[in-house]
Amino acid sequence: MTLLRVLLCILLASFASPAMAHKASDSYLVLSVKGQEVSGQWDIALRDIDFAIGLDANGDGELTWGEVSARHADITAWALGRLNVQRGGDCVLQVVEHLVDNHTDGAYAVLRLRGSCPSSTQALALNYRLLFDLDALHRGLLRLELDGVSHSAVLAPDTGVLKVQAGETSRLAQFGQYLVEGIWHIWIGFDHILFLLSLLLPAVLVHEARRWTGVGSFRAALTEVLWVVTAFTVAHSITLTLATLQIVSLPSRLVESAIAASVVLAAANNLWPMVERRRWLVAFSFGLIHGFGFASVLTELGLPKDALVLSLLGFNLGVETGQLAIVAGFLPLAYLLRNTALYRKGVFVGGSCFTLLVALVWLVERAFNLKLISA
Amino acid sequence: MVLAILASAWVCLPSAYVLAAPRLPTDQAEVLERLPMRPGDATARELTGLRAAVTRAAQEATTDTLPATQLAQRYFDLAVARGDPRYVGYADAVITPFAQSQAPSLLAVRGQLQQYRHEFEGALADFANALKVDPKFASGHAWRGAIFLVQANYPAAKTECDALQALGRNTLTGGCIGLVHAYGGQMEAGFAALERALDGTQNAGNRLWLLTRLGEVAAWRGQVAKAEQYYRDALALGQDDGYLLAAWSDFLLDQKRPAEVVKWLANWDASDGLLLRLALAETNLKLPSAKAHVRALGDRFAAARMRGDTTHRAEEARYELQLAGNAAAALVVAAANYRVQREPRDARALLEAAIAAGDAGAAQPVRAWLESSGFEDAHLRQLGVISAQVKPVADAKVTTPPNTKPELRP
Repeated sequence: MTLLRVLLCILLASFASPAMAHKASDSYLVLSVKGQEVSGQWDIALRDIDFAIGLDANGDGELTWGEVSARHADITAWALGRLNVQRGGDCVLQVVEHLVDNHTDGAYAVLRLRGSCPSSTQALALNYRLLFDLDALHRGLLRLELDGVSHSAVLAPDTGVLKVQAGETSRLAQFGQYLVEGIWHIWIGFDHILFLLSLLLPAVLVHEARRWTGVGSFRAALTEVLWVVTAFTVAHSITLTLATLQIVSLPSRLVESAIAASVVLAAANNLWPMVERRRWLVAFSFGLIHGFGFASVLTELGLPKDALVLSLLGFNLGVETGQLAIVAGFLPLAYLLRNTALYRKGVFVGGSCFTLLVALVWLVERAFNLKLISA
Repeated sequence: MVLAILASAWVCLPSAYVLAAPRLPTDQAEVLERLPMRPGDATARELTGLRAAVTRAAQEATTDTLPATQLAQRYFDLAVARGDPRYVGYADAVITPFAQSQAPSLLAVRGQLQQYRHEFEGALADFANALKVDPKFASGHAWRGAIFLVQANYPAAKTECDALQALGRNTLTGGCIGLVHAYGGQMEAGFAALERALDGTQNAGNRLWLLTRLGEVAAWRGQVAKAEQYYRDALALGQDDGYLLAAWSDFLLDQKRPAEVVKWLANWDASDGLLLRLALAETNLKLPSAKAHVRALGDRFAAARMRGDTTHRAEEARYELQLAGNAAAALVVAAANYRVQREPRDARALLEAAIAAGDAGAAQPVRAWLESSGFEDAHLRQLGVISAQVKPVADAKVTTPPNTKPELRP
C-alpha cells in the first residue's frame, strides 16, 4: 500500500471488488425457551466455519454440500462448545437438524437446536463465545423468546454474557396461552361438539307417549342443559387431570374410537330413546372418555412442569368457555324453534341422523385405522 | 454486563429473517459457497506463514509483538484492497492479546483498525503514542491528518501536514495540505497543491488518488469539463478503485448521465457504496434491475443496523432519501453521521435530508461549518441557504417522495 493511500483508507471502507456482498461476520441465533424446553435455530456463515475449522477438504476454494455435511459432527461440537445456556444449571443442547440458507453475504449453515434446562422458572443466562477469538468484529444477533416474552441483543466480545430475567407476566401469559388453546380445541374438535349437541338437542323437548313435544318452560330446558354440561365438564376434567398427571393412561386409538362410539350412542339415543330422564349420567360417563381425548392434545402441546396446574386449569377453563359459547348460541335458538317441525324433524331427527352417520364413519376409521373422511 | 437491547432491532429484524428459508440440499456436489481464496493461493500461503509465526510466538510466551503486528497489518491491507470487513475483525482478534503493548508498529495497526470503526479519538491517541516512540513515523502523521480532515478540524490537520513536510515527504504533504485548503475555503490554493503533488510523483497509486481528488475539487468549483478530464485520466490508469468509481459515479449522477453509471458499475454490486450509486442510476432510468438492487441495499443496511454497525451512514442516508423515499429516516441517519464524519459529502447528505424533511434546524451544524470553513462549492452553499428557509413538511415520514423540491417561504 502506498503511503499516500493512507489518506484515502478511511473512505475505502465501504468499497469492494466484484463478488458477493461483503459484510462483517454475524451469526443469527433464535432461541425459544419455554419452561425447561429450549428450541431454536442458529445460522452461522459457512465462510466463518471454514475460517475456524476448515471445510474446504479438496482445497478448490468452493464449499460443496458434500464437504459441509461430512463435517456436521465437527460443526456441532465447535458451535455448541461456544454457547452456554443456563437456567438453574446448564441446559443440554443438541443439534437436531443441519440445513443451509442464504443471507446477504453468502451461504450459512443452519443448526436446528433442541434442549432442556434443569429449571423452568429461573433467570436465563447465556454465554456466547463463537468466533470472538478469531474475529473481534463478529457479532451474535440474538432473538430470544423467554416464556413468551421477546428479547433481542447484539452479542459482542464484551457483551457475550447476558442474563435475562424471566418475565413477571409470563405466568399470566402462559395461563392465557393455554386458555386459548382450550377454546381453540373445542372449536375444532367436531367430535366433542357433536357429542355435546346430541345430548343438548332433546333438552328443549319432552318425550311422552312415543312422541316428542316442546318443553313447557325455558327454565326446564336450562336446568336440563346445565345438568348435562356440568356432568360432562366434571367428568372430562377428572380424566383430563388424571391423564395429564400421568396417573392413568390409555392407548389413544382406544380413546379416539370410544369417543366416536360415544357420539354414535348419543345420536342413536335421540332416534331410538333408551335413556331419557338421566341424560346427565350419559354425559358424565362418556365425558370421562372425552377427557382422555383432551389430555392427548395437552400432551402434544407440552406442559411446563413448573406451571403444570396453572396450565391445566387454563386449558380446562378454555374448553369450558368454548363449550359455554356453543350452549349460549344453541339454547335460545332451539327453545324458540322447539315447537316447529323444522326443529323436531329437521334439526332433531335430521341432525341426529347426520351425526350418527358421521360418527359411525369416525368409529370405523379410528377402530380400524382407516382414512375415509377428514375430521 | 451490558444487555444491548435494540428497540429498533425489531423494526429491521423481519427483512433479515424473512429472507431465511432453510433448506436441505440434495446434491452432494452442490456448491454452497465460494471462499475468498484457495488454501494454495499465494496470499493464503503468506497468511498461513504469518499465522504460524503468531502461534509459535504465543507458544514460546514471548512478548514479541512483531508476528502479530505483521499478520494484523496484512489482514487490514486485505480488508482495504478487497473491501471485506471480515479481515478487519481478524486483524483485531490477532492484536487483542497485546492490549497493553506500546510498540509503535502495533499501535499503528490498532489505530488503523479503530479509524475503520470510526473510533477516531482512540485512533488519534494510538497514532500519537506511536509517534512519541518513533517521531519519523510518517504514516502516523498522515493518518492523523486524514482523521482531522474527516472531523473538519482543519488547524489540527494542518499541523500534521507541516510535520509531514518537516519529514520531507513532499507527495504526502501535497495531498494533505491540498485537502486542508480545499475543505477550508481556499479551493484554488488546494487545487494548486494537489496539482504540484501530482507533477511530483510517477507512482500510479499516488497519481490515481491525486487525480481523483482533483476531479472532486474541480467539480466543487463548477469546472465540469476539467473534472471529467481528471476522472478519465484516473480511470485510464486501469486500477480497480472503489473510491474513484464512487466519486466518478456521483459526478455523472450530478451531470444527469445515469446511463454511464450503469455501464461503469455493472459488476460492482458487492460494494454497498457502489451498489447505492448503481441503484440510483437504474432508478433514474427506470430500469427493471433497479427494484432488486434497491431491495438488496435495504437488506444490507438492515443487516448492518442489526449488528449496530454505523460505518456506512452517509450512504444509508442517501438510500433512505433518494431510494426509499423516507426523508425523516434519512435525516436521522444523516444527522447521526454528521456528528462523526464531516466531509463535504456528509454535509451534502445532511443538507438534502433536512431540506426534504423540512427541518431547517437539523441542518444548522452544516451551515455553521459552511460559515466557518468558507467551503467554496456553490451548489452546497446554495443548499445551505435553502435549508435555512424550509418549512416543516407535514407528515414527512411517509409522504415525502424521493427528490422532493423544498418548499420555500415567501
